[in-house]
This record gives sequence, structure tokens and C-alpha cells, in this order.
Amino acid sequence: MSKPKVGFFDFASCEGCQIELTNFGDVAFLELINHIDIVEFREAMSEKAGKLDIAFIEGSFTRESDRKRLEEIRKRSAIVIAYGACAATGGINALKNHQHDYHECVYGKDAKAPHLASNIALPISAAIKVDYSVYGCPMSRDEFIRIVSHLLHDKQPIIPNHPVCMECKLNETICRFHDGDHCLGVVARAGCGAPCPKDGIPCEACRGFVSTPNVDSLVKTLINKGGMHSSRAWNKSRMFTNNQRGDVK
Amino acid sequence: MSSYFITRANFEKFIVKLIQAKKKIYAPVSKKQSFIFDELTSFDDLRLDYDVTILPPKKYIFPPRQGLLTFDKQGHNSLIAPEDKILLGVHFYDLKAIDMLDNLFAANNSDANYLANRAATTIIGANIQKISKRAFWGSVGKDVRPHGYDGFIIKLDGGEGYVYECYTDKGSALLKSGDFSNASPAQIAASMDINERVLKQCPEKLNHSSKEIATKVRSTFKEKQLWEELADDCFSCGSCNTVCPTCYCFDVQDNWNVDQVSGRRERTWDACMTEDFAKISLGGGHEENFRESKAQRFRHRIMRKSTYLNETLGGPACVGCGRCSSACTADIADPAKAINRIMEL
Ligand code: SF4
Ligand code: SF4
Ligand code: SF4
Ligand code: SF4
Ligand code: SF4
Repeated sequence: MSKPKVGFFDFASCEGCQIELTNFGDVAFLELINHIDIVEFREAMSEKAGKLDIAFIEGSFTRESDRKRLEEIRKRSAIVIAYGACAATGGINALKNHQHDYHECVYGKDAKAPHLASNIALPISAAIKVDYSVYGCPMSRDEFIRIVSHLLHDKQPIIPNHPVCMECKLNETICRFHDGDHCLGVVARAGCGAPCPKDGIPCEACRGFVSTPNVDSLVKTLINKGGMHSSRAWNKSRMFTNNQRGDVK
Repeated sequence: MSSYFITRANFEKFIVKLIQAKKKIYAPVSKKQSFIFDELTSFDDLRLDYDVTILPPKKYIFPPRQGLLTFDKQGHNSLIAPEDKILLGVHFYDLKAIDMLDNLFAANNSDANYLANRAATTIIGANIQKISKRAFWGSVGKDVRPHGYDGFIIKLDGGEGYVYECYTDKGSALLKSGDFSNASPAQIAASMDINERVLKQCPEKLNHSSKEIATKVRSTFKEKQLWEELADDCFSCGSCNTVCPTCYCFDVQDNWNVDQVSGRRERTWDACMTEDFAKISLGGGHEENFRESKAQRFRHRIMRKSTYLNETLGGPACVGCGRCSSACTADIADPAKAINRIMEL
């Protein structure tokens, strides 16, 4: 692909993934910019730049009114990349999806304000076809650059589809379960290098589930080895992967 | 083989001298409540009383992530640059495993990267002082003896010192760094007894010969229900492959640097228990996975460890280290448990 025209768009998110992009460090980021042509960046430029080679979308789809904007992006983009957990899986926004009173809890007396109205939080793929996802909360910038590099060379990027556990073994990290703790790494998609267990905290599956997570075995392990009560074990995977659970609405 | 003796006090001086020499030494050290092989920088870190390490010492010969070459506009450069090193304190089951890898990587298309690293490595074994909770090395592939290592250290009971067995020139080359004397017949007999005794102390055990196991396990290939049951809790995480001293599968990928011109070809350990291991491209955007279910993958791994490689290696491709058993969060990977269950069918 010769210098592709790219656009960045954002939906419901904390914009942390945009910040993560600039965290590459000046040199790497400026170097990457040499190879792409940014024609749209959020509201900074008008969304009328015409055809795009790659659209990068951040944030969840959580308002029906956003569907049109997403469809319009899809129509004029050859490749759509959902970057960051919110866009890729619904991410932490989906934590509200099984609740009814989140408006009241979060906004109190302003709960009914019209600009705060939203539906359940879904990945971008719930509205339009997504070609590639950059997982993680925040997204993995190494993976971002790898995917972009592969696309620039017309190659298929390879995204890991095995649990984080393998990366713990490669790091020779002592498993959280061997340290009297719990962990979701057994069903979480690797690719981050397992930094959380390495630092002595459980993996919360911010990169989402692998494509075939063994959730029954997860619940069993959280109860038997993680010492959790069965209802907590069952609810544990709601933080980042509520949309990927079997009981998703 | 010649046997030498070194006192406890001189042993410390010997190790210190090796550390001060140019060669890197990799040896067992503690990591929280576990052990790993790591670069040895002080005698006090050396833990020859380890039970088992999280990853096997093969990581220094066949690294988990290994650059094969770099490329740019002009062409490519090989990254084969073996580091002269000593692997110290390797238990006999890991010596067996390295011996197997030596055979596998030399066969057919011999692997230049592995062989170069291997040639630059001096391997010194050590007797097992503590036995890990899941070990069954005492009963697996009993007639297979390890070869290819250079020396072996046995700590004598009572703490008077160590017997050092020399097998090769590389092993003898270390003698000059320590105050060794010839081992007495009594010391030699004691060291052999220590190695014999420990074999009977494993917490887990296979109850049949390698041959009986291979025949029986192979005969269960079509028992779908059996394999589904065994694999029911599997996360397809590949931890059991990753920690295994005899696993040797790898994946190769090219990655560009940000300049989009230069880059690097790397190989990384792969694992047949993961969902995507057997996914292949059929061309034209089509794919196929020839081991789609976790039961098929589980069966494949147990077959690999008990049956498929026996003719090539002269025994099973499992040395009974028990690493997979403790690495498996679901606690289903233990080959001894799976095999013993199958043998009872
Ligand atoms: S700490 Fe978590 S991710 Fe790591 S091996 Fe244990 S369960 Fe798997
Ligand atoms: S270890 Fe888990 S929570 Fe931590 S970055 Fe990786 S996927 Fe996210
Ligand atoms: S299969 Fe398990 S017990 Fe056997 S050598 Fe591999 S890790 Fe060790
Ligand atoms: S096929 Fe599986 S069991 Fe065999 S060496 Fe490869 S990863 Fe290990
Ligand atoms: S057997 Fe255990 S370690 Fe191996 S892939 Fe399955 S869950 Fe992971």
C-alpha cells in the first residue's frame, strides 16, 4: 500500500488509546506518520475527506444515533480497524450492560438529562464490519504498529488467539493461583506480554476473551483454586468481557 | 569418564572462579517460592537444592524468542551468534530432554541456529537434592540414558563435598578452575548410590513399560469420549507445551521496523494445544484447522509424549519432569495421570 489515506474517529471512550498512540515516543510516531497520510483526525478536520484507505475507530457503539456515522465511515473506508478495548469488544463500557440503574448511580439527579441517554455499550462490529481489532485497555501500541506495518506491505497481520497464561510461562511468572490469588488470564487473549501477573496482580482480560474461551472451566477454577464464592466467580468476567460472555443479551 | 572430588569450601571457590571467567554461567536460582535458570553472578544465588525450574534450561539453546535474521534494502544478515556459556546444575531429566532435542534438531533439515548454540554450550548436570511435587522421572522411559552432557556434580551426603564426573573435553576444561583430587572408590560408590536412590522417590509413577504404554495409548485414538473427558477443562493455553523440555515447535514471523524498509525475522516457541496451532491457509482467503477441538489437541499432545516419537528417540518424548502438571491451571495436563487412567481401561 503506498502512503494510505487514514482517518481517526472516536466514539464512547476515554480517549486513552489516542494518548497511547502518542506514547510511542516522538521518533517512532513521527516515523510512522511518514508512511501514512492522516486526512481526518476527530473533529480537527471535517469528516468530508472522501475515500479512506484505513479508518481507525476508537470507542464503543452505545447510541443508536451513532450508527449512521459509523455506516458512513464504513462506506468510504477500504479497511476499518477498531482500536482499543471499547471499540474491539465494548470494553469496560459494557460493564453497565447487565445493570438497570447505572444512570441514577452515576449521574444522580441529572440522570434524565437527554445528552446522557445511551443504550448498552457494544463493539463497533455490532454496527459495521470491522476488518481488524487492536485489543487492550489501553490498546497495545506494539500491536497497533505491527498491524499497520503489515497492512502497508499488503500482509495479513497475525493476532494472538491463545490465553495470557502462555506469556506468564514465557516470563517465568509465578501464577496468581499459586500465590493464593485469582486470575482471568486463562481465557484472556494474549499479546500484551502478561504485564499484570508479572507485577503480581490478576489479569482482568482487558484484551477480551480468546475466540473459544472455556468459561465453565474458568468458573470452576475461580471457585476451586481462587477461593471465590460461586456467584462472584460467575460474575468475575464482567469487567472487560461482559459482551463476550455466554449470557450476553 | 573420570571422577574427581572437591571439598565444600573449594567448591565455592571453584564456582566463584567460573563466575569471574569470561564465559556466562546459567544455573538454578530462586524466584519467590519457585526456581528458574538465570545468569549466575554470585555463588550465594546458586541453588543446587532446587526441585524443578519453571522453564527448562533448553531456553538457552533454543530461546523462546530468537532472531533469525535482519533484513533491509540491501539484503539480509544472519543472526547466528552463539554465546559461549556453561549450563550448570541441570537435572538428569533435563539432560535427557536436551539429548532428545539434539537428535530432533540435527535430523532431516538440520537446524543451524540450534546446533550453533548447542556447540557453544558446556552442560554440567547435578544430582537431584529435592523432588518436585509432580515428578515422575523415576518411572518414565527408564532404559533411556542421557548422553551429550559434559560433566555431572553429585553432592555427597553429610556435606563433605562433591564428586565431579567428567565426560568430555569441555567437562575436563573446568578442572583447572578448581582444587580437584581423584575421587576415591568409596566416594564414587556413594555418588552412584545417591543417583540410584533418588529414582525411587518420585511422588508420581507410571506403572507400565514405555512399550506397553505406547501400544495401549495408540489404540485409544478413536475413543472420542475418553479424550473429550480428559480435555473438558482445557483452556487451550499451551502452558503445558511452553514449559516442556522436549517440545520443539516454533513459529516464524517477519516484522518490519517503523521505517518500513528494514526488519527482523524471528522464531518463537509455538504450542500445539492452542486453538490456532493447526490453522493453515488453503489459499484464496480460505483456512482450515486440522485439530479443531480441544479433545483432538489434548490427544495429540499425549500421543506425542507417549507414542509418536518413541521410534525416533528410542523412548517416549516425555522425561517426567512434571512441569506441565504444575503449569496447568486446570490441572489436567499431567501425562502420568492421563496415561495411568488410559492403562486401566
Ligand atoms: S497468572 Fe493468570 S495468566 Fe498467568 S498463568 Fe496464572 S492464570 Fe494464567
Ligand atoms: S495481563 Fe490481562 S489485564 Fe493485563 S494487559 Fe494483559 S490482558 Fe490486559
Ligand atoms: S510432558 Fe510434562 S512431564 Fe513430560 S517432559 Fe513435558 S513437561 Fe515434563
Ligand atoms: S507438536 Fe506439540 S507436543 Fe509436539 S513438540 Fe510441538 S508443541 Fe510440543
Ligand atoms: S492441558 Fe492445561 S496447560 Fe495444557 S493447554 Fe490445556 S489448560 Fe493449558
